[in-house]
Amino acid sequence: MATAYYEFYRGSSIGMALTDSLDELITSGAITPQLAMKVLQQFDKSLADIMVKQVKTKTTLKGHLHTYRLCDDVWTFIVKNPTFKMESNEIVSAPKIKIVACKNGDAIEAGKK
Amino acid sequence: MSFALSTRQVTFGRPAHPAQQQQYQQGQPQPFAAQSQQQPQPSSGLALPFPSNPYLPGPTGLALPGPAPPTTAQPAQSQQQQQQSQTQSQSPTVTGATQASAAGPASPPSTIPATPAPLTLEQQHITAVEGIVPTLQNIVATVNLDCRLDLKTIALHARNAEYNPKRFAAVIMRIRDPKTTALIFASGKMVVTGAKSEDDSRLASRKYARIVQKLGFDAKFSEFKIQNIVGSCDVKFPIRLEGLAYSHGQFSSYEPELFPGLIYRMIKPKVVLLIFVSGKIVLTGAKVREEIYTAFNTIYTVLVEFRKP
Repeated sequence: MATAYYEFYRGSSIGMALTDSLDELITSGAITPQLAMKVLQQFDKSLADIMVKQVKTKTTLKGHLHTYRLCDDVWTFIVKNPTFKMESNEIVSAPKIKIVACKNGDAIEAGKK
Repeated sequence: MSFALSTRQVTFGRPAHPAQQQQYQQGQPQPFAAQSQQQPQPSSGLALPFPSNPYLPGPTGLALPGPAPPTTAQPAQSQQQQQQSQTQSQSPTVTGATQASAAGPASPPSTIPATPAPLTLEQQHITAVEGIVPTLQNIVATVNLDCRLDLKTIALHARNAEYNPKRFAAVIMRIRDPKTTALIFASGKMVVTGAKSEDDSRLASRKYARIVQKLGFDAKFSEFKIQNIVGSCDVKFPIRLEGLAYSHGQFSSYEPELFPGLIYRMIKPKVVLLIFVSGKIVLTGAKVREEIYTAFNTIYTVLVEFRKP
């Protein structure tokens, strides 16, 4: 694999579900751990690509920016009292959220060139 | 420190003041005479504002945001005053340095007064021409933390920090009070911008130094120096920039196709002014607040001449 992809999507619910299933398959002896690793890496790549190419849903977010950070091309924002306005005009709010923003696959490739 | 104080006291002497002013007026036209003999009247017109400035009680009643009370001139100083002047100790020394450098090309060494004459706190009493006092908009200061820094550690652990070594080799950090931005370099040097007063600039610099200290570096707070002060104000009447550019050609550069304002490079004090038709003025390049005030006083009387009818 030419590029390393961020692994943070493994922590999402779909990533957790995949990890659990792979664990089960390994313990039952259906697949080897090497194969499981390969699946997870493909998952990282596929999700990164899908997020860029197929996810078109948008939301607007308003809130008080408490902290920001940029290090290693990763932005981190902690936003207090955010309100999300979804496309369906549904409004969601929370006391505090953390946004981690990374470069997508293409940008990483471009950055390496 | 005590040295700086004593020089100040000399400066403050009221009787010495007009004499020093005169020295400046004598010193000022000389270089231009040397450069070109056909130097027209206006340059002396520039020097004129000093005598016309009101030493009278009228505007002096205005409380000015001076960095230290004028009472510091008294020989008997209370401890509190001493503290205040200690925090301000930079300004007199800085003044000395800038004066020397500014005066260097402008006048022969013999005419340089031993002390930075025109930039005393006394002068703040004459700053309120027509009740207009320039407001300080930005102060840039530098500090040496005197310790090598690992910028990545700082960027990872401090809040409100940006570090993108591909773009810029420093951590950009901000704090909310006083609202300022700092550029922190790996060498331990730091630039703090955005403060609105000398005290804020110093306080902010100390806060940044403390943040770096808390991340485990042996940061000190040394060589704090204010590098630039920017002020602005509004004379509230329109100005004929062409006329001003024509008669003050020595100092002015007015290219309306490039920039709508007139750039006026004052020699004494060494301050650059951006003058706009609207009567809005930006003053920059000063190392101490008094230079902004003196420059504004000097330019104000000139501007009155070029008031649009």
